[in-house]
Amino acid sequence: MIALLIANSLALASLLIMLSSGLALIYGLRDVINFGHGALYMLGAYLGYSIALAGGFWLALLVSPLLLAGLGIAFEYWVLRPLRGRSHIEVALVTLGLGIILGQALIFVYGGEARGVDAPAALAGSVRLFGLSYPLYRIFLIAMGLGSCAALALWLRYSTSGLYVRAVSQDPSVARMMGVNADRLSLLVTSLSAAFAGVAGVLAGPYLSVDPGMDVSMIVNCLIIVVIGGTGSIAGAIVAALLFGFVQVAGSVFLPDLAALAPYVLLFVVLLIAPRGIGRGRAPA
Amino acid sequence: MLEIANLSVNYGRVRALDGVDLTIKGAGALHGIIGPNGAGKSTLLDAVTGRRPPSGGAVRYRGQDITRKSVAWRRRHGMSRSFQRTSIFQDLSVREQLTLIARHLGDATLGDVIDAMNLGDYLDEKAGRIAYGVQRRVDVALALIGRPDLLLMDEPGAGLSAEETLNLFLHLRDLVRERGMAAVVVEHDVDAVFACCDVVTVLDLGRHLATGTPAEIRADARVISAYLGSAA
Amino acid sequence: MSGGTARVDARGGALFAGGAPARAPLFVLLAALLFGLGAFVPTHLLSEFALRIGAGGLLLGMLALSVAFLMSQAGLVALGAASVYGGVGYLFAICLSEWDLSPTAALLFAFVAVVVYSAALGALIVRTNPLAFMMLTLAAGEMIGHSVMLEGLRDYTSGADGLVVNFKGAVFGLTSADFANATQFWPIAWSAAWLLGLAAFAVRRSRFGATLRAIRENEERMRFSGFGTYLPRLAAFVFVNAIAGVCGLLHVLNSGFVSPESLGLSVSTNALVAALIGGVAGSIGPIAGGFLFAVAQDQFGAHGFTQLLTGFAIVVFIVLLPRGVVGGLIEAARRGARRGTR
Repeated sequence: MIALLIANSLALASLLIMLSSGLALIYGLRDVINFGHGALYMLGAYLGYSIALAGGFWLALLVSPLLLAGLGIAFEYWVLRPLRGRSHIEVALVTLGLGIILGQALIFVYGGEARGVDAPAALAGSVRLFGLSYPLYRIFLIAMGLGSCAALALWLRYSTSGLYVRAVSQDPSVARMMGVNADRLSLLVTSLSAAFAGVAGVLAGPYLSVDPGMDVSMIVNCLIIVVIGGTGSIAGAIVAALLFGFVQVAGSVFLPDLAALAPYVLLFVVLLIAPRGIGRGRAPA
Repeated sequence: MLEIANLSVNYGRVRALDGVDLTIKGAGALHGIIGPNGAGKSTLLDAVTGRRPPSGGAVRYRGQDITRKSVAWRRRHGMSRSFQRTSIFQDLSVREQLTLIARHLGDATLGDVIDAMNLGDYLDEKAGRIAYGVQRRVDVALALIGRPDLLLMDEPGAGLSAEETLNLFLHLRDLVRERGMAAVVVEHDVDAVFACCDVVTVLDLGRHLATGTPAEIRADARVISAYLGSAA
Repeated sequence: MSGGTARVDARGGALFAGGAPARAPLFVLLAALLFGLGAFVPTHLLSEFALRIGAGGLLLGMLALSVAFLMSQAGLVALGAASVYGGVGYLFAICLSEWDLSPTAALLFAFVAVVVYSAALGALIVRTNPLAFMMLTLAAGEMIGHSVMLEGLRDYTSGADGLVVNFKGAVFGLTSADFANATQFWPIAWSAAWLLGLAAFAVRRSRFGATLRAIRENEERMRFSGFGTYLPRLAAFVFVNAIAGVCGLLHVLNSGFVSPESLGLSVSTNALVAALIGGVAGSIGPIAGGFLFAVAQDQFGAHGFTQLLTGFAIVVFIVLLPRGVVGGLIEAARRGARRGTR
């Protein structure tokens, strides 16, 4: 029973990690929250749905993130750079507006009902694990989540750009003084973040569903995770995503009537105990 | 009046301040703090004013341990600070911001501050529109409201010429004597400090190096080798 | 005195350095006339339908005022305004149906409850930086939205069906039917808009307002000048939610119905857009913005399309027209007048 709980939490957390880390990276780097991140996820999911219909799940998993990465680049050049002088709140509001536009455009194109996406043949069916039968697709999901986590950690720890990202997230003024090319870094982070949103969107299809409300619910989840994780802390976001996944799944098992509120309770409890979030994020100004 | 006991401040693993002991005696004295870059001068001010919590040691003000007190508390009880990077209210007029603070601190003698800092001509200008030198005076004026007993200043001469800095320090010395307050000034311009301060403290690498009159410090061998060189 | 700095007060008039004492009584007279005319002339000239749209616009405008005040005075964007606007309606309905309170008692209870809620929420989230605050208000708004849909509370909230509100007796001398009548409701909405607008104006002009704006501009310097910065922001948050509570109650009295849509995110973003369109700086801007929005919404019909336009409006007004329509007009008038006094 516990094993099932943990497995399901990890599956949900995998999606959340992919999404929240992208959000947290941009937040740590540019102090900007992309309120349209949920809409990007939704776009990734709907694109995945269409591509899968035409060419199968694996093609969708390849193409959707690429398309979204392109959109991320456009976002960097046409939104973030021109608005560089504006306050963070104004930029955040603009991303909110853009997210609304994208969400409505998707509803306009695809209509208001939910779509189902089938897991690919190779991943259909279940597997016996610890004496229980568990869907193979979810194992795949967990593997993808852990994989992206590991890739992210390795990149941050061992690559030059990763080092720069950590430095700027910790103290933007110092890093900028040391000649870090923040623009190129930002382009990298934005496109990666969008690509990951695409991956998460495609993966979400067979696991959750593809429906019109997914942008709002996902952005709220991600925002909660980023706040719990602490500003500029990627590690914090990952821990927060795991915590969130667990609380959500446990909530739906033990308190199904109130499960929808579980993440909010988590949020406010964390805010009470640790107002700056879990992670050791930015040093206080 | 102010007693700094074994004060340490860490940034992660870096010891910005390492067990500094310092006493600021009292009214009417201008106390300068000098030292090379990275000596911890600004950090000392931050720790004393409550902007940065110390990792160790204590700050005692008029005999009371204020290490845990908030920034606002310290200001209301007579410990005031001005900033290295001018920190004023750009969108408010000079008059508006001075009055706002004066009303809050219950200071009816705002006119004295305006005269002391020579701001009479600029009262109705938006602070964002006046010259940098005048903005700095507004910054100091904000810190002078409420007749603080202890004024801490972080590089008031930053961005000013040597002559302007000297004038500022002379002005400060007069203010300090007139109002019977104590002032602790962190400064890079060593000449102005030696010319006007009553006591000088030298910090180096987070540690207290020496304290004394300007003449004593200028002659101090440790200070010469660490900071002044033979130019003093 | 140098410059003749013209300061724009909330009612849109300009008080000039030289002419203020002489002009004020005239100004008040004009305002009173405008108030009186606006309360009754439309009810004789316009159709029921138009009055309904107009009143809806005023209600949205009041909610926009709530958002605008917090933005312009405290620099904080609250994305959960609808949760109080709709939530107070739900509480009112539940008080009437479940606990059999008199309508007046139900109104008071609902209002006090949302004020307490916003104090508790504010206590937690006002300490954070403005960006985190924005995120948290969005989350809190969604939380309330989820709450009314909970299976466990279905007996109280009727989930997605919403609650019909029908009270017997009178509130301030008006019956349920009176509130629902467009011709009778218009003066009520109009008066409420003026009242809330003036309240916001009074707070803006007070020392509290000056303190808030100074904290917004340079929080650190305020702390170093002996000000606490937490309580003023908390007070501002409670104040704007009280405004949202008042117009939310008016809304439920008028519509006789409350549903999850009343507290949905789109209502919050509509209020935000209305504030941006009108201009967040004063009281007239947001209320006029709400009015404009309601009229536009009526023109454009379909919900999806309105939301699409909402998204565009947010982007356009932040990027190109940060002062909004009314704010921009006031600024232009101010500049023109200044040229006139030279």
